[in-house]
Amino acid sequence: MKKIISLIVFIFLSLTISGCGAPQPKPLYSYGNYSESYYAAKKELTPESALALEKSIEYAIEHSNESRSGRVAPGMYANLGYIYLKSGNQAKAIESFEKEKLIYPESAHFMNRMIKKIEVSQGVTNG
Amino acid sequence: MVNKRLIAYLALAVSVLLLTGCGPAYITKGVAFPKMYEEQPKSLLILPPMNESTDAEAKDYYMTTTERPFALMGYYTFPTEMVSDIMKQEGVYETEILYNMPLDKYQEYFGADAVLFTNIKKWDVSYMVLASTLTVSIEAKIVSTKTSEELWKYTGTVVVDLSGGNTGNGIAGLIVKLVVAAVNTAAADYVQYAKVANWRLMGTLPIGPYNEYYMKDQGFKFIDQTSKI
Repeated sequence: MKKIISLIVFIFLSLTISGCGAPQPKPLYSYGNYSESYYAAKKELTPESALALEKSIEYAIEHSNESRSGRVAPGMYANLGYIYLKSGNQAKAIESFEKEKLIYPESAHFMNRMIKKIEVSQGVTNG
Repeated sequence: MVNKRLIAYLALAVSVLLLTGCGPAYITKGVAFPKMYEEQPKSLLILPPMNESTDAEAKDYYMTTTERPFALMGYYTFPTEMVSDIMKQEGVYETEILYNMPLDKYQEYFGADAVLFTNIKKWDVSYMVLASTLTVSIEAKIVSTKTSEELWKYTGTVVVDLSGGNTGNGIAGLIVKLVVAAVNTAAADYVQYAKVANWRLMGTLPIGPYNEYYMKDQGFKFIDQTSKI
């Protein structure tokens, strides 16, 4: 009987200990609800879902310091810049592409190509 | 008393041996994907998925799930929506064409070290009389843009039983089950399970340079899909 009680106590203890073990490490990047709002915008693109996606990216960027790396996740500034570009805000698009380049040099080749594209189109409209 | 205990231990030991003998074969990341550790790609160009499933919408929906896991594993992931749109602007609409392009083109245009190809093999619900199952199966591979060699490949599959336990006997029970299954298979559920399938893939992917475990995970084991049992 004693043995059974001690066994039950042991099982109980091990369950509680594993339940409140080491705290979960923070994720490498903060995404907020980016993937949910990206999905919602893919499912049905409306002005509301497009705005919600833009807001979720801005939120993820603002909260990047809460992540393990402290960096904005890869591609997030580029995603945001692309949304600005589609809504006609070329200056803000270039600004975001430059930020992507600064954090992730791997993106430089592609971002430079995009920035050049915008500048060429501006040259055409201005000239 | 002692003998009984000994017999019990022996029985346990034998059954453990038997179980491990019949289980799946395991392999380490280092043995399975040595080229990943040799070439050490830093950036992944995630292309729009190929869709071999019966659901035409699967392509658009699955696309929204890939950036995050591969970035969290430590790779620079190019923005998927932007890449997909630009490929269309360049006149490439068909994923099949995209998947047959010379790989150095992706290096030249985007500056990507490697390309991630994904193929939606299954994205459906099979309705049966007694049980309905939802299946999401994703085959993924990473190919070098420098050597055109395959660096990593794995298939993540999730099968979900939608019958949701016993809902009663007889005809009425079956009808309830079918209704439950239909309600349960809203599109969002597929995406939820696609994310689980992705994490099964991540368990086999060598960790990338932006993660602190970079080049430290060669000994990590997973189920070997190439072994024939």
